[in-house]
Amino acid sequence: MITLEILSSVLVDGMLAAIASIGFAVLSNPPRKAILISAILAAIGHSLRFFLINSGMEISMASFVAAGTIGLLSIIFARIIHCPAEVFAFPSLLPMIPGMFAYRTILSLIKFMQSSDSKLNQTYFMDFFHNGMTTVFVLFALVVGVSLPILLFPKRSYSVTRKY
Amino acid sequence: MAPDFQQKDPDIQEVADLLADVASILMSSGAHTMRIIQNVSRMANTFGYQMDLSVFQLSMMMTITGTDDQSQRVTLIKKTKPLLLNFTIVSELSALSWDTFDKKLTFNEAKDTYQEIISKKRTSNSLVLFLVSCANAAFCGLFHGDFYAIGLVFFATLIGLFARQKMIGKNVNHLIAFTASAFIASLIAGLAYVFNLGTTPDIAIGSSVLFLIPGVPLINSILDIIQGHVLTGTARLVNACSLIVCIAIGLFGSMLILGLEKL
Repeated sequence: MITLEILSSVLVDGMLAAIASIGFAVLSNPPRKAILISAILAAIGHSLRFFLINSGMEISMASFVAAGTIGLLSIIFARIIHCPAEVFAFPSLLPMIPGMFAYRTILSLIKFMQSSDSKLNQTYFMDFFHNGMTTVFVLFALVVGVSLPILLFPKRSYSVTRKY
Repeated sequence: MAPDFQQKDPDIQEVADLLADVASILMSSGAHTMRIIQNVSRMANTFGYQMDLSVFQLSMMMTITGTDDQSQRVTLIKKTKPLLLNFTIVSELSALSWDTFDKKLTFNEAKDTYQEIISKKRTSNSLVLFLVSCANAAFCGLFHGDFYAIGLVFFATLIGLFARQKMIGKNVNHLIAFTASAFIASLIAGLAYVFNLGTTPDIAIGSSVLFLIPGVPLINSILDIIQGHVLTGTARLVNACSLIVCIAIGLFGSMLILGLEKL
């Protein structure tokens, strides 16, 4: 059921993702108009993923779908503003990077190394493995998801800067 | 006589130099291998040459051969500069290569446009600092951090990124710069633990180092590997992964200092 509450949290999510993607886009010094597009794509992608996870999809699958959507949309936008697709596809992916899972991976690794209690060590190791696997799978889902459209439509994605 | 002279093909050495410059600047601005090869060979074809190019992390090799006259041939090896992402250059050089092809630009026109493109200024460092800090704070908000966490992450990013910019400017090894920057940023975000600020200090530490994640090299490496440039792709992947390991080491260090009992 789509309630007003879910809808508003999806909107807030999209807004935050847009701000995050503007900042990360600036790091790679893109053309001005590409920054705006990357903010829009990040908002769409991240709120789509948020919605999918809320409706029960697993996180790496949801990331894959969201990244694929960003990739497809970026090729369409690329034709409109004559700018290579990856210029704004990359920064708009960044808000989806599984930062907290990566952090928990390192945390449980350190705890595992420092503790000598074998009962506790088992839980630390499980934590390490679960968080680490999630991090790796989500990262790969994101990267492969966004590059698939570029690979599927090579003619289209390499001729977007052509003006005639 | 004069118009006849202008129609004359440019010297093969000059063409080779320009094409090598374009390829190496594309590489250091963060284009993936397929795009580099397509752009440069498109320009080479317009000037009447065929091109073979292989790109590696630190250098590239290129041979151009005259399409009509096979005996005209130049091979050269060129160093590539360290990676400094600049998508404006990627985008405009890509447009330049199509312009050369469609409008049949002469060699000199192409060279002038190239000089114009690479002499453009980057976004100022202070603006980048501010925007990236806002971005990382928003990132912390995405993970449901509270206001203390968001504020701390803003300052942590500001100082961490400033330190990295200064270190890169002084030619410190980039791995060391990444480690130090991650250490500083996570230490500042860890103040939430020390002073018991808010309810989500773990989110502050976890998201404080995320501005360092090398997203573009990671995606480029996968694109390269899938498109068959396995060697270059692997080199990029190893580079990106070593940066991620450095971030982890920096984070590790500050977590040891903050004390693990509390985490």
